[in-house]
Amino acid sequence: MTRKRFVTLTLVPAIGLLATLALVSIAGAVWFAVMNRTLRSPDYDFVGAYNFLRLLRDRRFFNALEISAIWEAVTVAGTLALAVFLAVLIFETVKKPLYRNLICFAFLVPVLLPRVAAAFIWRFLYSPSLGVLNYLCGLVGIGPVEFLADPSLALISVAAVDIWQWGLFFSVILLKLLETLPRDPIEAAMLDNARTWEIHAFVTLPMLRGPLISLALVKAVESLRSFDLIFVMTGGGPGTATETLDLYAYQMGINMGGRISYASAMSLLLLVVTTVAFTIIWKAGKKWAS
Amino acid sequence: MHRKTFLLGTALCALAAQAQAQDEMTCKGEVPTLNVIGQGMPAVTALDDKLSEFNDKWDTEVRITMLGENERRAKARLDASTGAGAYQVLYIDEANLAEYVSAGWVYPLDEIVPESYDLGDFRTDLSNVATVDGVQYFAPFVGGGDVMMYRTDLLEQAGIEPPTTLDEMVAAIKTLDEADNGAHGWSARGQRGSGMNVWRWTPFFRAKGGEWLDEGDMPAFNGEAGVAATELYTELMDYAPPGIATFNWSDSVEAFRGGQVAILIESDVFGPWMEDPEKSSIVGKVGYAPPPDPLPSAGWAHGWAVSKVGASDDCAKIVAGDFVGWATSKEMEQRRLEAGIASDIGRTSTLQSDSFKELVPQDYIDALLETGPKTDLLIMASPVWPEIGDTLGLTLEEIFSGTRDDVQAALDEAAFFAEDSLMRLK
Repeated sequence: MTRKRFVTLTLVPAIGLLATLALVSIAGAVWFAVMNRTLRSPDYDFVGAYNFLRLLRDRRFFNALEISAIWEAVTVAGTLALAVFLAVLIFETVKKPLYRNLICFAFLVPVLLPRVAAAFIWRFLYSPSLGVLNYLCGLVGIGPVEFLADPSLALISVAAVDIWQWGLFFSVILLKLLETLPRDPIEAAMLDNARTWEIHAFVTLPMLRGPLISLALVKAVESLRSFDLIFVMTGGGPGTATETLDLYAYQMGINMGGRISYASAMSLLLLVVTTVAFTIIWKAGKKWAS
Repeated sequence: MHRKTFLLGTALCALAAQAQAQDEMTCKGEVPTLNVIGQGMPAVTALDDKLSEFNDKWDTEVRITMLGENERRAKARLDASTGAGAYQVLYIDEANLAEYVSAGWVYPLDEIVPESYDLGDFRTDLSNVATVDGVQYFAPFVGGGDVMMYRTDLLEQAGIEPPTTLDEMVAAIKTLDEADNGAHGWSARGQRGSGMNVWRWTPFFRAKGGEWLDEGDMPAFNGEAGVAATELYTELMDYAPPGIATFNWSDSVEAFRGGQVAILIESDVFGPWMEDPEKSSIVGKVGYAPPPDPLPSAGWAHGWAVSKVGASDDCAKIVAGDFVGWATSKEMEQRRLEAGIASDIGRTSTLQSDSFKELVPQDYIDALLETGPKTDLLIMASPVWPEIGDTLGLTLEEIFSGTRDDVQAALDEAAFFAEDSLMRLK
């Protein structure tokens, strides 16, 4: 048996299983999307592209699309920015391995918290009348701030919790990566009198380009699955200020009258949009890394 | 009593007891787990330490899945509509009843709960809410109407009498909010949902003369009454704690019993919550009265029903039916009172019992009695109410949070959506 044939034969079962699982659910979603199935009634009819055409006239759908895009951009960029800042800060200021390890351990705690638990904790912290954050704001004469009830603040307030959970975790990964970098280029830069920030901006971080792209993609995929966090903290509100596509699909499909066909059409559009977007980002990232 | 009647009655009781014993003999151990969808009301959480009795009786294991109100509704709908049938007992309420009955998801109560549990003893106001076309579908353990709760100390300080009209209440709220008393004048539900902001908004809508549907059965809540109610509700939010635009009932009630609010209209079930010394900072400082005229009182009831989908075989039906009877029995309510829980009362006999009267202030009982005649089901009794109510709730939340300011246009949009829902129903 040739090596190529061996590799193909061993991969076929796994790929076959994954493809079956993906295709069956996608086929199910397509089937639902061309019907007018609701949870309330067992009767349904074929309606063709009606659900997709209705989506194109749905103000809330486009709002959800916009909120999803903003959510992705803010949480991915915020997480990476916080991670890079903290990793470099610790790398430069904390030299003792014991202290570094203690900090790393502390930074891992938020991501180990279940999302729902984190959401409840922060919901109380943000509370305008009982929350610690508003108490602190009050000490400096600000507030009370309606972090979750003000439409202009709600999305960023929830995103801050996501960034808190993942940014600290990623900073641990980046710190460990910084520690493994070869010293020669850094020392060469130091001999050239480069300042600390210049060393990191032009030497260490470009060396970590590949891992940074991978982390960004991992975070982007993870951010798409933030339903639980947003659902617990705001339920998509106030109004539709934090209603992402998955939340809207849930509201339509399960919560509000069970229009599962409409929700399936929405999920399919989400699948297409994310597949296209991720392909473009992946290709751009690979080009930048090479 | 005639001898004949007495003998007949005794014979019937004996037959019923025998039939139940036979059921026990046949079905004991046949239902390994009884899955129940629950919501964290005191009557449900109080079952925890008593479940072993029921488990032993049927050699089963009762598993109660606790969910928030909106999630509980979504989960039950999904379980029944998809035919999954993972849950034998469903927690059901006034907002879902029409939908569940029209879809044929629940059994009539008298088909599944043994007579020995005395179905006739359930409170009439709650049984009415649990009934469709003369058939009762769930066993209520909590419910009632609205009550106005006010801080007697703050009103006295400001020299204000407890308001008896809506105008007086609005004036009192403004005065109390301005006073230097550390409390806001008012609180209410802002968070979207047919059982959330819409529930509290509806009495204002009705007080303004609002009707859900016009003569052609098309939505009419975007008329003058709807706009006036929304404007008043939004105006009152200026006198409430910060963050009210997304307050659920829990936030609102906690703000009141935390001493931050002077006047609150909420479901009467929350009255005893204010008298709990462990959790309330205003024990002994609360007065109770019916909602001021012309505000009506929003009737509601929560209870247990048996799912036709989840309990399709005979034994599951028998065990689930017995669970519903057991969990809502007179004895269970007395045991709750013994544990100090006076909020969840589903039976007339409990309301009349001395142990209930010992636990709550007399003026709370007086307010309950006075509110009774004003209590009615104020929401639209339609299978499509959950989706119409939820859409209206979203619109109201947008208005309350300032995302939208054109009340008429916002209500028109909600009515347009409701028209679509009603047409699909036809």
